[in-house]
Amino acid sequence: MSDAALPPEQTFHDLYRDHRSWLEGWLRRRMGNGSDAADLSQDTFVRLLASSQRIADLQEPRAYLATVGKRLLANFYKRRSLEQAYLDALALLPEDCVPSPEQRWILLETLQALDELLDGLPGPVRRAFLLSQLEGLGYQEIAERLQVSERTIKRYMAQAYEHCLLVDM
Amino acid sequence: MNGSAPSAQARQVVRAAAQWLALMESGCANEQDRAQLQSWRDSHSSHEQAWQKAQLLRQRFADLPPALAMASLGRPQASRRTVLKRAVGAVALLPTAWLISRQLPLDAWSADLRTATGESKKVRLADGSSVQLNTASAVDIDLKHRRLTLVEGEMALNVPGISPLTILTHFGQVVVSQGEVCVRQGQTGCKVQVLKGTVQLQPLHGPVFSLRGGQQVSLQAAGVGAVEPFDVLAPGWREGVLMAQNQPLGDFLRELGTYRLGVLRWEPELESLRITGSFRLEDTDRILALLAASLPLEVHSRTRYWVTLVQRKNSV
Repeated sequence: MSDAALPPEQTFHDLYRDHRSWLEGWLRRRMGNGSDAADLSQDTFVRLLASSQRIADLQEPRAYLATVGKRLLANFYKRRSLEQAYLDALALLPEDCVPSPEQRWILLETLQALDELLDGLPGPVRRAFLLSQLEGLGYQEIAERLQVSERTIKRYMAQAYEHCLLVDM
Repeated sequence: MNGSAPSAQARQVVRAAAQWLALMESGCANEQDRAQLQSWRDSHSSHEQAWQKAQLLRQRFADLPPALAMASLGRPQASRRTVLKRAVGAVALLPTAWLISRQLPLDAWSADLRTATGESKKVRLADGSSVQLNTASAVDIDLKHRRLTLVEGEMALNVPGISPLTILTHFGQVVVSQGEVCVRQGQTGCKVQVLKGTVQLQPLHGPVFSLRGGQQVSLQAAGVGAVEPFDVLAPGWREGVLMAQNQPLGDFLRELGTYRLGVLRWEPELESLRITGSFRLEDTDRILALLAASLPLEVHSRTRYWVTLVQRKNSV
C-alpha cells in the first residue's frame, strides 16, 4: 500500500520547489508589493496543503496555483478594504470612546471573520441583515429603508441566516 | 470549516432553522407558529442544535459596537467583478471622477474648461502654468491675452513663470506671477486664497492691493473683506480631500452637497452638531456612512440621489 504511489509530502515538496518563485512573481506583478506577494504565495501553498486536493493528480500545477492565488488575492483586497473602513470610522470617534489597542485588534479580527462569513451575499440581503443585527431595526423599518416589501425582507433574512449557518458548518 | 460539504439533509435542517428564525423575528408569528417551532425543535436533536447555532450567530453580531461594525461591515461593497478585475490585474479599477484628474497638456491658445458635479480636472497650459477646477466649475482660457475668466465655481492657478496671468471674476481681478492662488466664486462674492508667492488684487471698486501666501480675502460687490490668515498646508479639494475642524455639521453638509448629484437634506436639529476629520471626496456615500458612525444620526436614502439625514432615536 505504501509503495503504490509517492507519499504526498514528497510531491508537495516538488511542487513548492518548482513553482514557488513563479507564483511569487505572478502575485507581485498584480500587487506591486514584494512582501505582500511573498506572504500570499505562502498562503496559497498552505491552502493547497490543507485542502483535499491530491497533489499527484494536478495536471497543470501552475493553472491550479494561479486559481487559488487569485481567490486569495480577492480576499486580501476585501480584508484591506474592511480594515480601511474600520480605521476611518475609529479615527472619527471622540477620544474617550476609542477602544484600547488590544480591543481594537480583537475587534478587527472579529469583524474580518464576520465579513468573510457574509461574503457572497447579494448587496440588499447583506444590507437588510446588518440593519437588523447591528441597528436592531424591525422588518417593517428595514423594508421602508430598502424600499421593498416586508415579505421580501423576511426572505432576505432567511437567506442570510441560511448562508451564514452553512458557511459555519 | 472542515472541508467536507454538508449533506443534503443537514442543509435542509439549516434552511428550516433559518426560516423559523426569520418568521419569529418578523413579528408576524402567532401562538400556533410558536407551538410548531417548539415541536420542530423537540422532534430531533439536529433541529435543536441548528436552532441554537442560529442563536449564537445572532449573538456574535449583538456583541459588536453597532456604529463601528456598521461602518466596517456595511461599507460599500466592490462588486465581484471589480474585485476579480483587481485580482487578475487585467483592467484597473474604474477610476472615479476625482481620480480622472490627471494632468492634460493644453496646447490650444483658448479653451473652455468645465467640470461636472463631483469631478475635478487639472490641465497644464502651454506656458508651464497649470489650472485645476473643483466640482461644477467652468473657466474660459484665453492665453493670447493671458487671461482666464472664472465663469462659475472654484479654480486653482499655479504660475511658475514671471509673465503674469489674470483671473477675471464677477467681483474683481486677480493677477498672478510666480505664485499660486485658489479662487472660489459664489453668488455674492469671491474668495481668494494665496497658496504661494504674492498676487495683486483689483476689486471692482477701490485701489489695487497685494496678498501674500497664507492670506485670504473675500471680494464682494460692496467692497473688500478683512485679510485673514489660513493654513496653506491643510489638504483640500485639490488633493481630493474635504477637511473639517470643529465645523458645524450644517456648513459641512452644504459643502459636501456641492460634490453630490441629487438632494441631500438634513433635520434642523443636526445643523449645529460639530464635525472634525478629513474625508476623501472620491466616495461621498462613504463620507455619509462615516458621519452616521460617529454622530448621533442616520442616513436614509430613497435612492443614491435622494438622501436625508435624521437624528438617531435610540443612541448607541
